[in-house]
Amino acid sequence: MNWLGIVPFAIFALLFLLLPTLNIVLGAFRTQQGGFTLDNITNLAQPRIATAFWVSIKLSFASAAIGCLIGFILATAVALGGLPRWIRQSTLTFSGVASNFAGVPLSFAFIATLGRVGILTIVLRDVFGINLYGLGFNLLSFWGLVLVYLYFQIPLMILIITPALDGLRREWREAAAILGATGFQYWRRVALPILWPSTLGTMALLFANSFGAIATAVALTGSQLSIVPIVLFNQIRGDVLQDPQLGYAIAFGMIVVTAVTNLIYIVMRVRSERWLK
Amino acid sequence: MRTARFWPYAAFLCGLAYFIIPLIGMFEFSLRKRRGVYSLDAYTSVLTDPQFQQTFLYSLFMALVAIFIGVLLVVPTAYWVRLRLPKLRPVVEFVTLLPLVIPPVVLAFGYIRLFNTSSVVPFLGSEFGTNILLSCGYVVLALPYMYRAVDTGLRAIDILTLTEAAQGLGASWAAIIFRVILPNVRVAVASGAFLTFAIVIGEYVISALLDRPAFGPYLVWIGSNKAYEPSALAVMTFAITWGCMALIQVITQFSKHTRTPL
Amino acid sequence: MAYLDLLHLEKSFGPNRVVKDFNIGIEQGEFVSLLGPSGCGKTTVLRMVAGFEAPNSGEIRISGVDLVGSRPNQRNIGMVFQSYALFPNLTVAQNVAFGLSVAGMKKAQIAERVAEMLDLIGLADLGQRFPYELSGGQQQRVALARALAVRPKVLLLDEPLSALDAQIRVTLRREIRAIQQRLGITTIFVTHDQEEALSISDRVVVMNGGLADQIGTPFDIYNHPTTRFVAEFVGTLNTFDVVVTDPDTGTVMMGATSLVLNRPVAAPKGGKVTLAMRPEAASLGGAGDLTLTGRVEDVQFLGAIIRIKANVGAHQLTLDIFNRADMPPPAIGSAVPISLSTHSLVVLVK
Ligand SMILES: Nc1ncnc2c1ncn2[C@@H]1O[C@H](COP(=O)(O)OP(=O)(O)O)[C@@H](O)[C@H]1O
Ligand SMILES: [Mg+2]
Repeated sequence: MNWLGIVPFAIFALLFLLLPTLNIVLGAFRTQQGGFTLDNITNLAQPRIATAFWVSIKLSFASAAIGCLIGFILATAVALGGLPRWIRQSTLTFSGVASNFAGVPLSFAFIATLGRVGILTIVLRDVFGINLYGLGFNLLSFWGLVLVYLYFQIPLMILIITPALDGLRREWREAAAILGATGFQYWRRVALPILWPSTLGTMALLFANSFGAIATAVALTGSQLSIVPIVLFNQIRGDVLQDPQLGYAIAFGMIVVTAVTNLIYIVMRVRSERWLK
Repeated sequence: MRTARFWPYAAFLCGLAYFIIPLIGMFEFSLRKRRGVYSLDAYTSVLTDPQFQQTFLYSLFMALVAIFIGVLLVVPTAYWVRLRLPKLRPVVEFVTLLPLVIPPVVLAFGYIRLFNTSSVVPFLGSEFGTNILLSCGYVVLALPYMYRAVDTGLRAIDILTLTEAAQGLGASWAAIIFRVILPNVRVAVASGAFLTFAIVIGEYVISALLDRPAFGPYLVWIGSNKAYEPSALAVMTFAITWGCMALIQVITQFSKHTRTPL
Repeated sequence: MAYLDLLHLEKSFGPNRVVKDFNIGIEQGEFVSLLGPSGCGKTTVLRMVAGFEAPNSGEIRISGVDLVGSRPNQRNIGMVFQSYALFPNLTVAQNVAFGLSVAGMKKAQIAERVAEMLDLIGLADLGQRFPYELSGGQQQRVALARALAVRPKVLLLDEPLSALDAQIRVTLRREIRAIQQRLGITTIFVTHDQEEALSISDRVVVMNGGLADQIGTPFDIYNHPTTRFVAEFVGTLNTFDVVVTDPDTGTVMMGATSLVLNRPVAAPKGGKVTLAMRPEAASLGGAGDLTLTGRVEDVQFLGAIIRIKANVGAHQLTLDIFNRADMPPPAIGSAVPISLSTHSLVVLVK
């Protein structure tokens, strides 16, 4: 009778998580009349949607990779760089806030800063004589979006990787040094391989995080930008593609992308973690 | 040693600049509504907007409902899995982590298709049903954080002994969970609750697709129709997020201090 | 000038002076232990030799060349840590090969040296295991092999046995000593366990509050401690506070009893000194040059020896006598003659 205790959770998960997902997966292979078809999937290949997927993947990968890298550097500087303890503590607290400060307000903050009349744009122009927009910068572009996404990606990385950095024991570094290794050799052969699994995991998480992000982009670009979540959003709202079944396929495609990302992560993690219990 | 600290400091300061400048930017911008001078006009304008009040209260209420459902769902489940079904733990954990992988827009799409008026459970048939659906969606979004917080909290206490002691005194399961276990993980529950709140208050995509008058869609609407008010709203949202995180820190710290003598 | 010279080493952490004017010369191939209670600065001395801490002043010389100022990775010193500190992501063989491969040695040579090292520590078959698959004792052996693989000039061991079970501790310390002697490597071994230090060292440095209280062979340290701290830290001890009445003949008053040591005492007339005596230095019966009468308070039968606590005047004395089948221990409450030789009484002036 023990299983009875988990029934409420199971029902909830089925109803609000698993069945909706399953419904999408099945819908992606159905015609409007209910028969089986692969047309919906092949329809994803139309340039508009394929491009959206490609842009989204690039955007997520770029923001995840850069977020991981910068987050890693900052976490290392704060956790191992010999900075005062209060800096480390405030960095972690701030990261907790910033990683949750996503969505619409975040894009407002960036528009106010780096938009055409944002403070930084103006200060750079009037004080330093640097005309950002004249130099081809645009907040409403691919790299502009990456810049905005980094605001929640970097803190997330810092939050996850700092405990892992704390787990690096001082003796490992010292043992490596006394065996003749340079700092670089220690990082390459010991520290990075040990941190690799958690870095990979965070990377997968950051990828999914920005792949599904939509509010920031909508508030920033007014749902004009062609990334997958926005395409799907528009499709749900107004069926702009004149093909109700295509929505299923797009949603299914999104699940596949994040699932594959996580699969890659799991495989790589297993391979890089042979030395763990 | 001094020179060795150069790069850590340099990295830290660059990071600081990236994270602080947008905050300064939005704050400065929010004060610019009146020409030529800094003023709080944008804030006044926002705060007196009835739509702001309605949507904010709506989201606030939704957040409370989501926290209520979430606690009711997660605490007994995490407890039971730890106590009686340890074999199921990987499965349950996997399920609770799924929302990190399934984008909210996909989830909302699934809800719309699954719970439409002609389905077996037509949540979307009534306003009340839609509200329930929305708060359940919020529970799902917060599930990874809530579950992990509570599970970590449970790990720190000896639930087996507590349970046996309570049973020895003749307590029912409900009494054990809500009068013995819950008070012992209240810090974890509170952390989960504040996180849920921070997530829900600015949430956009599900509420927009379910067509509910929530704060997130209002923010987007303001963003495309007003110039300075969005920044004022962003400042306020940031303050709320900051407040939630600060409260989590405070209660965690506080409970650490009160626990040590035990 | 010895092979490894530590000269006037000083180290403070903030206002806390942790190592005070530390001096020792260690000969090539010598095994020296640093012995002392926790917090007395042993690890700090070792870390200065390794280069992890810079001394505030003083010199560290190997063959006359000062190491202070060179980095740990340039010193060619081997170190074994209390917590093993094996790299968890590398196999046993890769751990042992680490120092060789960062030095750019050829693969074939590395393989050869690794095999040799694993053979030395008796783990030839476990090269492909990961550290977590080994017991604590095995891990510490691997750590030793890893430190020795690069053929260091000096081997440092910081409480390498403290994390292990009592039994393994004894076997492994013998093994460490055997390997050290086979390779003839100059070694500094840190421990807070006096039995460990005495049993495997050529010389022992007893440290107290950052100072080297006494440096000597285990025999010396045990039998001729020069300070009260050393005498009490190493082994069990009976102490008597006495007043010197004649420094030249070594006459002292112990309560109302007068004792003549027949050797000069380095204290003025009327000065207070401590007499110390090991439990095994006295015997029951009347064969020594000094005989006291004691009342037996407690008898512990420990097998090979019998530990007797007896009251002599106001003092309690602990005596260890060998067990003999034909001589049952005295009854509690009985009066026994206790005899000792004045040579076995150590005078502690400090
Ligand atoms: N990095 C450090 N900073 C400040 N104090 C230290 C540091 N390392 C050691 N100490 C202090 O120096 C003293 C000696 O430490 P240590 O050499 O580790 O002693 P032992 O190894 O003999 O137990 C201790 O009181 C310790 O608190
Ligand atoms: Mg120590």
